[in-house]
Amino acid sequence: MGLVIPYNGEVPSDSFLDPITNMPIEKITRLCFGASYAVALLLELIQLVWPRWGQRFIGLAFGIAGLLAHSLFLAWNQPSLATQFGSMLFLAWILAVFYLYGAIHHRKLAWAIFVLPLVLGLVLLSGPLPRPGVVERSWLTSWGLLHGSLLMFAAVGVCVGFVASVMYLVQVRQLKAKVPPGQALRLFSLERLEEMNRRAINLAFPLLTAGVIVGLALLIHGDSVSGDWAAPKTIGTGVLWLAFLLVLFLRYGVHLRGRQLALLTIVVFALMVFTLASSHPMVQGGSE
Amino acid sequence: MMLLAVGCSFRASSVELRERLAFHPANLPLALDEMSARYGCEAAILNTCNRVEIYLARVTPLAAMTADLVIEFLAEFHRVPEAELRSHLFIHRQQEAVRHLFRVAASLDSMIVGEGQIAGQVKQAYELAQQRATAGPFLHALFQHARQVAKRVRTETGISKGHVSVSSVAVDYVRQVFAHFHDKTILVIGAGKMGELTLRHLRQLKPYRILVTNRSLDKAEAVARGCAGTAMPWDRLDDVLAHADIILSTTGATEPIVTLERWEKVRAKRTGGPAVILDIAVPRDFDPRIHDGELTCLFNIDDLKRIRETTLQDRLKHVGPAEAIVEQEQRRFLEAWHRRRNGPIITRLRQEFETKTQAVVQQLLQRLNGRLTEADRKDIEGAFRLLQNQLLHGPISALTEEVHDAGRHHTLMEALLKLFRLPE
Repeated sequence: MGLVIPYNGEVPSDSFLDPITNMPIEKITRLCFGASYAVALLLELIQLVWPRWGQRFIGLAFGIAGLLAHSLFLAWNQPSLATQFGSMLFLAWILAVFYLYGAIHHRKLAWAIFVLPLVLGLVLLSGPLPRPGVVERSWLTSWGLLHGSLLMFAAVGVCVGFVASVMYLVQVRQLKAKVPPGQALRLFSLERLEEMNRRAINLAFPLLTAGVIVGLALLIHGDSVSGDWAAPKTIGTGVLWLAFLLVLFLRYGVHLRGRQLALLTIVVFALMVFTLASSHPMVQGGSE
Repeated sequence: MMLLAVGCSFRASSVELRERLAFHPANLPLALDEMSARYGCEAAILNTCNRVEIYLARVTPLAAMTADLVIEFLAEFHRVPEAELRSHLFIHRQQEAVRHLFRVAASLDSMIVGEGQIAGQVKQAYELAQQRATAGPFLHALFQHARQVAKRVRTETGISKGHVSVSSVAVDYVRQVFAHFHDKTILVIGAGKMGELTLRHLRQLKPYRILVTNRSLDKAEAVARGCAGTAMPWDRLDDVLAHADIILSTTGATEPIVTLERWEKVRAKRTGGPAVILDIAVPRDFDPRIHDGELTCLFNIDDLKRIRETTLQDRLKHVGPAEAIVEQEQRRFLEAWHRRRNGPIITRLRQEFETKTQAVVQQLLQRLNGRLTEADRKDIEGAFRLLQNQLLHGPISALTEEVHDAGRHHTLMEALLKLFRLPE
């Protein structure tokens, strides 16, 4: 997956077949795995209000099918992590693996309804993005790839922190209202969710810092395709890093915990989404 | 096949009578051996705090096995006058006995529908009968099937969902807040009896330590000894509240011992995570306003009882589907049993007829040897086979229908009419 091949839209002449569906792998589109994830999410939502034996397994089967199609798509097309298209789909893929892990190991918990919307959102957002043409030379360097990879893994941490924070707030709400445990949405305990959030932030910050440093170095070198110092994405990433720093200070310096920390993590996630959106063709009114 | 179930349960008999009829564990084997030997039948005894039930079975009904004999045995064994027992005992026979056991195993006959203990108790009753060799082929099949019914009801309906004991509900809430307990401190305030069961459940979480405080240090020490905890003086209550993660309060105080103001001061001193307070005292020990669902989660006895009632109400909705499963399994069991029992007999009957038919056909063909064509021989053989099948159809169908009519006694005349479908 680390090898970047300039993708110029041509389909190789020898088609490989998906071992399960016998479909030529090059015909797998984002719609294939997006639809699978959507059906998995729908079944999970139905299961909440109309629980039926077997429904969850069918949802899981769709999730697995989606992940398989997603994996084949990425393996075949190999979009570069240096591009927004590639990084969004890789991020979605990692979160899909995260969803599957939780769905299998914590199958009694309402896990999918928190994680799958993120996955779907990323797959949808990658839609209007331009397929990378011949990627500029600078991005073929290891540094460009490193920058993209670091930011992408930092984004994974932010997403996991976001999921944990939303679950935390829902759990607090249930406890405040004293919803009977049998009727409440089954989630991790407050303690576990707080730990999950904390670990995600602790992991994401160093990765983000390293990614920002590499990005700064590339900007200074004047060899970046992503824009200049005033580009929305650059400013957004800088603001995001500062917000992260603030969250860490509040957590470890002021010992802020619980709901306030969860809300701050959600703010950081929103900043990340804003940063991504600021350079999105839909927002900019055209392709990059 | 004859099956008899005789016993008493909380539904129709007082706890005093049940106590008198209950078998001491040491006497159960003796009772089983005695019944099995006396009546020449299979025997099993289900003996719990809410019921005493005797199951007797005989595969071949050589002699009558009446409920009167069982009542006589119970009266003799427990030295209780028969007249006292009769009106309080239930008697089920054949299909009804099967259905009753399935309902009991599935917890449909329990005081709290959906409770999980009874399935294990039915299993124990069967295992003891097996050990004493008083469970024969019928009770073996019956109790095994009862286990499957219990499992099916549990997995296919929501009848056993949620907890219904106050202490279990309390622990459920604690688990919504905390993930691990090896580093948690439990504080017990007071020495109320109501808290004992809840404390027992909390101890199963294996906390780091248990602290106990009471206005009387002696009482605190007594409770601490019972739960491997440490007694703390009452004047240190605020300090221990600041360090405790789970607080169980069961004092007999007439007013709250921890007001909102007092708790605000305690919370300012707390550096750890959330506190879960289980206030099961009546009147309440903690001001309900301190609950915020995050840093302070307070659950009092009303909250816990409300959840228990809600859970019980929810369980009742699943009784209908559970009863349907029991009905279905009762039919399946009886059909399977009769097939197993009647199968070899039907096979022997067919073989017997086949042998006799072949003998007669061969004799006839030999006598007519030389005067018949091949087609004639085939016609004769076919005609005798048709006669054989028509003669056997009646008895075989009657045996199959016996599933729904099991245990009914017939005279020989009635049996003949039934077997050969003769009009009366």
